[in-house]
Amino acid sequence: MSERQTEQIATVRIQRFNPEKDNKPHMQDFKLAYTRDTTLLDALHEIKSHQDGTLTYRRSCRHAICGSCAMNINGHNMLACNSPLFQHLGRKGVVTIKPLPYLPIIKDLVVDRTRFWKQYLRVKPWLIHSGKTVPEKEYRISQEEVDALNKAETCIMCGACYSACPVVGSHDNYIGPHALLKSFLRVLDPRDDASLVRLEEVGTREGVYRCHTIFNCIDACPKGLDPTKAIETLRNLAVKRIAFEEEKQKRQQTLSDKTA
Amino acid sequence: MYKTTGFLSFVLRRVTGVALVLYLLLHIWVIGSALSGPETFDTRLNFVQTDFFKVLEIALLAAVIYHAFDGIRLLLMNWFKVTDKRKNLFYAVIVVSALMVIAGGLPILLFMLEG
Repeated sequence: MSERQTEQIATVRIQRFNPEKDNKPHMQDFKLAYTRDTTLLDALHEIKSHQDGTLTYRRSCRHAICGSCAMNINGHNMLACNSPLFQHLGRKGVVTIKPLPYLPIIKDLVVDRTRFWKQYLRVKPWLIHSGKTVPEKEYRISQEEVDALNKAETCIMCGACYSACPVVGSHDNYIGPHALLKSFLRVLDPRDDASLVRLEEVGTREGVYRCHTIFNCIDACPKGLDPTKAIETLRNLAVKRIAFEEEKQKRQQTLSDKTA
Repeated sequence: MYKTTGFLSFVLRRVTGVALVLYLLLHIWVIGSALSGPETFDTRLNFVQTDFFKVLEIALLAAVIYHAFDGIRLLLMNWFKVTDKRKNLFYAVIVVSALMVIAGGLPILLFMLEG
């Protein structure tokens, strides 16, 4: 904290919910001094350490890489650790912090992410490799190939996009932008050998066709990634796969005609 | 609830879509009555030529135009992947739709006021 900066008082309005006492969530105001260096996570730490120890939230690295502290600030999902408090104060000096929307609340700002991880595992996020072309040292991927991935590999799995999506709110089985982005990453990865299987998995009504192109995932992503573009690309590829399969079936038909 | 231009476009798209289906039912109800003879047809046609339905006609025009241009916007998005222009495209759809609704709605309104 630099000495030049004068301290001011902010009101942090936090949604509280204790499943053992409360029937439904309620808002609680906390007042605290802040400077330009104070992040939203600093504010939460301050409240938990000095004002109310029962405040519950997830956090770990404080460097915007673990993805634990994603929450809803003034109606927008972001990471609390890299968001300065003063930037989010309204005219009356109030900032509203809520848990990620559309997900079941466990306590205060902690949400149940079971569905998020379940959908993630559905797209087999790991590299599937046949082992036919293993180089002696390591794989060298060209810059063009890396650029085509559109930085999708830098996703930190914070859940901001998933819980910003209204489709996730209305369809439990929707794969979700986080998992579709990962699927896009693996489909385009030149080392991966299971592109067709992946396209079959995501090219369903629970996958890319369920997306309503609302763009909330882009607006929410704290890493500036573009899940919508990934979904649009997967959509085109999934259509091409079906066209290819149909064409192949026709060719196989002529094969059996001739043998008969 | 997560309020962005994308969410607004989604809500408008759904509302206009459902409204257009309801309009289609009404339309079939009126036009289909031609099969039951000229009297029934005339009664139903007169029913939908009141001022109330003229105002609704402007709303219908707005729904058709917005829904159509929103569809074009989504096609552009899929073809050219211009996700970074998402807000500009949404505002463009709103402006173009508004201009076309004024251009088409004004004659209906004038016609209605003249009787």
